[in-house]
Amino acid sequence: MSNFNLTEDQQDCLQELINVAMGQASDQLARYLDTFVYLKVPSIEQVSSQSLIGTLNPSDTTVAVVSQGFFGYEGIRGEALLIYQPKDSDKLADLLGYEPDELSVEEQIIDLSSILTTTFLNVFASQIENQMSYSAPRLLASHKGAISEHIEQQSYNWDLALKVKITYQVTDYSFNCDMVLLIPESAIVNITDVLDRILASF
Amino acid sequence: MSLESYCANIVDRINTGVLILDLDYNIVMWNRFLQVHSNKSTENVIDKSVFDVFPELPRRWFERKLSSVIELNTQSFCSWEQRHHLFELPHTRPITTDSVYMAQNCTFLPVLDDSKITNICLLIEDVTDVYHYQTKLNTVLEQLALSNRIDGLTQIFNRKHWEECLAKEFSRARRYDHGLALIMFDLDCFKLLNDTFGHQGGDKVLIKVASLVQTLLRACDIFGRYGGEEFAIILPETDLTGALDVAERVRRSIAEMIVEFQDEIIHASVSVGVAVINPADTRYEDLISNTDIALYKAKNAGRNKVFAINELDEFV
Repeated sequence: MSNFNLTEDQQDCLQELINVAMGQASDQLARYLDTFVYLKVPSIEQVSSQSLIGTLNPSDTTVAVVSQGFFGYEGIRGEALLIYQPKDSDKLADLLGYEPDELSVEEQIIDLSSILTTTFLNVFASQIENQMSYSAPRLLASHKGAISEHIEQQSYNWDLALKVKITYQVTDYSFNCDMVLLIPESAIVNITDVLDRILASF
Repeated sequence: MSLESYCANIVDRINTGVLILDLDYNIVMWNRFLQVHSNKSTENVIDKSVFDVFPELPRRWFERKLSSVIELNTQSFCSWEQRHHLFELPHTRPITTDSVYMAQNCTFLPVLDDSKITNICLLIEDVTDVYHYQTKLNTVLEQLALSNRIDGLTQIFNRKHWEECLAKEFSRARRYDHGLALIMFDLDCFKLLNDTFGHQGGDKVLIKVASLVQTLLRACDIFGRYGGEEFAIILPETDLTGALDVAERVRRSIAEMIVEFQDEIIHASVSVGVAVINPADTRYEDLISNTDIALYKAKNAGRNKVFAINELDEFV
């Protein structure tokens, strides 16, 4: 098991790339959703497979977790998890611009997840002169017990992952959700290579 | 062969539908997969609105979906799990599955020309097979979950599930300071009944008791087989008077019940214990113990009787 602690420079560089991507993504989302979207300063940390469920912190009331894989050039890849609370799902159809009877709540959650993930990661990818592809988003589980169970029952083939958590807030719809990007150990060295290249070019 | 013709060749032979639209929803191109499955001729399709060619599409939803692809310049997805299909197409397992239309996973891709979006490409995958097996798996899982909760003989809840329900109801009653009553009853002299009529006779009585008592209960009451010939009923939001009323009806109905078995008539009776949640009860097991004490009082008092403990731990 290796320790991949980012250097201070690498951490700052990643933080800056994410900040810029968040700015542009929230702007695009605001336009598309026709409401303000706030993204809170992200937390970047390393997590072990054992502590993953604890750091995701699904509360008793968590209703849904959606997973969507992403992959780009230079071995940049990972999995995005979108975590929702029950009050968040009330006005989703309205927020997305659908009539409530046009699609199920599950479809609304999946649709929004995909929009949040891909919008952010597309901008992030363009920052590092990359391009992302995505798997279809999947609803992992739709209530807390099932989510913990789902994550705890896995025997992971990774020990450590880089975790970036960004909280989205749409105040007009009193809506919050967390986007957690998890970069598996095997892909982290590829990220640090990219960060080093960007740092060297300054 | 040029690279373009290689690509065209492959696009026409893959088992995925490829449909390219302009930004006004007109069809610019499709591949052989869609042509064959929709059984329409290409000349009647190209330059036509996708809504005219495929009138089954949910138009408003489809337009909003495409607007996210166009405005955010990002791909979008639609899974069979949320929407079985978008296009009404036949599929490759019409004989061995019960799906009328092809189950589909659809991907919406922006097509760019010089970083400006010009078209939208839809990829339509046939996932009827996945749909079929996942649906079967879900059915089996549901059956498994059910058989995990049900007592095989009497078809009411088994002890494990019933106790889990009691734990939930107990903590709910505690939290909201609501009433909760418990009834436990036991068939009188069941061993003698088994010795007289055999175990099949005994089983028949157990089945009849379970189905009879079920008819006396409200939908919110939770009825389970606690042990061999012992049954238990959770009565949420119920006080002692209400619970005693139910208990008496259970006792009387079973005393009047007639079970026919191999040309013989079996009569049975039950002893019934009743308790309501007590301020001193900290665990649901305390409520069971109190009900049990009442049940043994009823047995010792000569059977076919109802005894209760009220919230002050007094017998009534």
